[in-house]
Amino acid sequence: MFLSLLIFLPLVFALVLALVPERWVRPSALLLSVLHFLFSCVLFYRFDPQKATLQLVEHASWVPTFGINYFVGVDGISFWLVLLSTFLTPLVVLGSWRSITSRVRAFHLAIFVLLTSTLGTFLAMDAILFYVFFETSLIPMYFLIGVWGGPRRLYANMKFFIYTMAGSLFMLLAIIALIFMTQEQSGTMSASILDFYHLQIPFVGNTFLSTQTLLFFAFSLAFAIKVPMFPFHTWLPDAHVEAPTPGSVILAAVMLKMGTYGFMRFVLPMFPAAVESWSWLFLLLGVVGIIYGALVAMVQPDLKKLVAYSSVSHMGYVMLGLFAFNIYGATGALYQMLNHGVSTGALFLLVGMIYEKTHTRQIGDYGGLAKVAPLFTIAFLLVTFSSIAVPLTNGFIGEFLILLGTFQSHQVFGGLAVLGVILGAVYMLWAVKRVFFGAEGKVIREHHGEGFDIGARELCVLTPFVILIFWMGLFPNDFLNWSKSSVENFVQHRGHYELNLEE
Amino acid sequence: MQVAFSLIDFLLVAPALALFVASCTPLLIKVLCGNQEQNSFATLIYAYVGIVVAAGFTLSMLGVARSAFDGALVFDGISFCTTLIVLLVTAVALTFARDSYSTNPGQFTEATFLTLNAAIGMLTVVWANDLIVTFVGIELFSLSLYVLIAMSMEEKLSKEAAFKYFILGSFASAIMLYGISFIYGTVGSTYLPDLLQASPNLLATNRLFLLGFVLLLVGICFKIAVFPFHSWAPDVYQGAPTPLTAFMATGVKAVSLAFFLRLVASQAFTVEKFWPFVDVLQWLIALTILVGNVGAFRQKSLKRMLAYSSIAHSGYVMIGVVAAGIGGSSMLGAGGVMFYIFSYSIMTAGAFGVLHILEPHADADLTLEDLKGLAREKPWVALTMSILLMSLTGIPPTLGFFGKFFIFSAAIKQGLVWLAVWGVVGSVISVFYYLRPVVAMYMEEPLLRRGVLRLRPLSYFTVAFLGLLVVACGLAAEPVYQAMLSSVSQVF
Repeated sequence: MFLSLLIFLPLVFALVLALVPERWVRPSALLLSVLHFLFSCVLFYRFDPQKATLQLVEHASWVPTFGINYFVGVDGISFWLVLLSTFLTPLVVLGSWRSITSRVRAFHLAIFVLLTSTLGTFLAMDAILFYVFFETSLIPMYFLIGVWGGPRRLYANMKFFIYTMAGSLFMLLAIIALIFMTQEQSGTMSASILDFYHLQIPFVGNTFLSTQTLLFFAFSLAFAIKVPMFPFHTWLPDAHVEAPTPGSVILAAVMLKMGTYGFMRFVLPMFPAAVESWSWLFLLLGVVGIIYGALVAMVQPDLKKLVAYSSVSHMGYVMLGLFAFNIYGATGALYQMLNHGVSTGALFLLVGMIYEKTHTRQIGDYGGLAKVAPLFTIAFLLVTFSSIAVPLTNGFIGEFLILLGTFQSHQVFGGLAVLGVILGAVYMLWAVKRVFFGAEGKVIREHHGEGFDIGARELCVLTPFVILIFWMGLFPNDFLNWSKSSVENFVQHRGHYELNLEE
Repeated sequence: MQVAFSLIDFLLVAPALALFVASCTPLLIKVLCGNQEQNSFATLIYAYVGIVVAAGFTLSMLGVARSAFDGALVFDGISFCTTLIVLLVTAVALTFARDSYSTNPGQFTEATFLTLNAAIGMLTVVWANDLIVTFVGIELFSLSLYVLIAMSMEEKLSKEAAFKYFILGSFASAIMLYGISFIYGTVGSTYLPDLLQASPNLLATNRLFLLGFVLLLVGICFKIAVFPFHSWAPDVYQGAPTPLTAFMATGVKAVSLAFFLRLVASQAFTVEKFWPFVDVLQWLIALTILVGNVGAFRQKSLKRMLAYSSIAHSGYVMIGVVAAGIGGSSMLGAGGVMFYIFSYSIMTAGAFGVLHILEPHADADLTLEDLKGLAREKPWVALTMSILLMSLTGIPPTLGFFGKFFIFSAAIKQGLVWLAVWGVVGSVISVFYYLRPVVAMYMEEPLLRRGVLRLRPLSYFTVAFLGLLVVACGLAAEPVYQAMLSSVSQVF
């Protein structure tokens, strides 16, 4: 019952929010989301990190004709992603206290529905159930961007929806094909991901038109768009720039992870032969994404767009780590997913906070902000350090592990990816210099910089991020131990991956 | 020839008799009261009673496959399920019609009479086990619909639509009758089982029969609005009063598809001589999906948009028909088609119902402009419309998702992967136009002052019910799908 409660409690909370009086919406949303986070922390007690098995499994029949079940479970791979989602929600609610002024109730409903669908995506162990949650998550995000977004929100929104939907529909066809394959090979239809792992999918090398390769690409397309990998990333900057701050935070921190999680859960273990022969393509696109994202970020005049492109770059690392196929790469990739969630989430919140006060995101309008907003500057700098992987912060651990793994298996790509680390430092620090230091910019001259610094509420939002940045940077094992056996199992059993149910 | 009808025959056709009695009663009362229009609510109640009794008879006759009137009518799973769908959309359409501005308040009794008789025609098609009976059924509902369209209070488009539908519909009927005559000429019978039994052999050897069979299919394709026989649909759907559009777009398609299923159950598609035609049909399906989606994309009028989208849906469901026809796991295809008919009927009737609710007068032709900012003024209507549109797009966990899921599964299982891929491409295109109304309702400010709308509690209730059904049956897709599978298992 635990996981189902975890997934569907936000939906119940949404109903509660629909009924409370208007002025109580915000406080009750905050309270409920904090409660939900605390509830999700029960996972620490219920989850056994020593086992590489699927735990807390729940199983109920849904569409037995096609072997589709309500089947949820958690393992070391999804463990942290679930906690990341529940951790961010109260912070997002608190962070949007001032910035969302219209249709407050509907806004919080969307946040909670989104939480249900993201948790469902990470916990579903049935391919169709996964697909259902994966697709449903689009709808609340669609409304978040469309209703509370910026001036070009409708264009960005449509692009976002079409891109993701196009990818995932091909995945649906691939899932159907796999379901029929389970029937051919084991006699009973099943949409369980665990049964998909057992499939022997015919593979012919050196051709595109082999069953395994086609299925591999159908799944990869869906997830590559979601990640987003170069060259499918173009929806991301648009969506991020137009989305309201909370939308950006959830989009970057949680929804992009659905893509990389999909690679880890579906693509890599299910299609080992196709992955083997096409990994060069994904490594290449990963590296191109890292460098391209960094270069484009460098020339962005808009601070939020800069962060958006930095996401493209960071997610390139995750892909690199995943396709390095060793313990360092995989661990680093998983860690980098969390890092990116924390640091980019925090960056989007920071950009949102200053935007609320100055109503501009143009880097050229700023300058000398450090003098008038010291606390804000410190917070921004700390998060920037995490984002550019300065040692002692979490970013360092993730990128280091990924580069270690990549060097071990593909030295050329590793060498190129290091360039990205340098470029990352360049664009972030350059932006920091232009915004916080130097001569006083237009914004400060006009407003005399009054009230630009962060207040108590914003401090409450940012403190957890900063704590996490250093905690994850200084004591990575506190986090990695929880997923260690799952990741080891993932790497060691490549080609014949199995995920067993808890005894 | 000895003609002997037993009681059971009349019990089996009792749904149609019930509808007929219900359709005549208010008309009779009106005539007896000196041609004074009676309370429209009372008329509606008579119709409801008729429909409920008809549904009751259908449910009580459930189970064994039977035939009535010396095999002229057959009552199997397909008839059973489609009958219930037709009765549902008839009730829905009548509810809307009573509330609609396009219904002449002095002629609601006549409209009810015609609608119920159209439903009888549809039921006849579903039950028919003989091509002549099928033809009579088609003519019965078509003629009722021509008159119903023309009866609209709207003075321009509806008359054009009625005339267009009449001309093209007669043309299609003529083609179909021509086909039937060839078939009769070669088989010597219009009895469907005879025909189906003989068809694999005759298709391979007899060109006249082949011609007749193809012409028959063309006639049905016209009713289903398969490219290139689709061009009437946008004009007619737009011109007809919206409640009637909801009725036409669902009922006519449902029964025509059911009839199509009966024809493909003959294994005709597995005959080698017929393969070129199956190939052509597949191409037509692909084009139908393309034309429907691209056409819908270009429309301003929402009714026209839904009309084109319903053409696209014909394409999706026809994938299932082909999958059902080519042998192998044809059950999957047929079950998928039946499920799709059900889901499509509910979604489409609901979507047209919402448009009907929002129409401020009889001449209204709603566009995106009219929906702007609706979420603030009528949040529940906007929510229902969004759910229906999401379902039409095929976003889980709605009914529409499972409709597409079952169809695409059948296609993949039967090796029609390219059609499944094509269907997916079409669905992606459809996201554009299905989401535009959602955008308008939730994300744009109202530009026009909306007129005060007539209070229509029954219509509101019906639309809400359909919206709820879309979600509920989506979550509980299995029992519905099982019912559909068992309904086709007697035929396939």
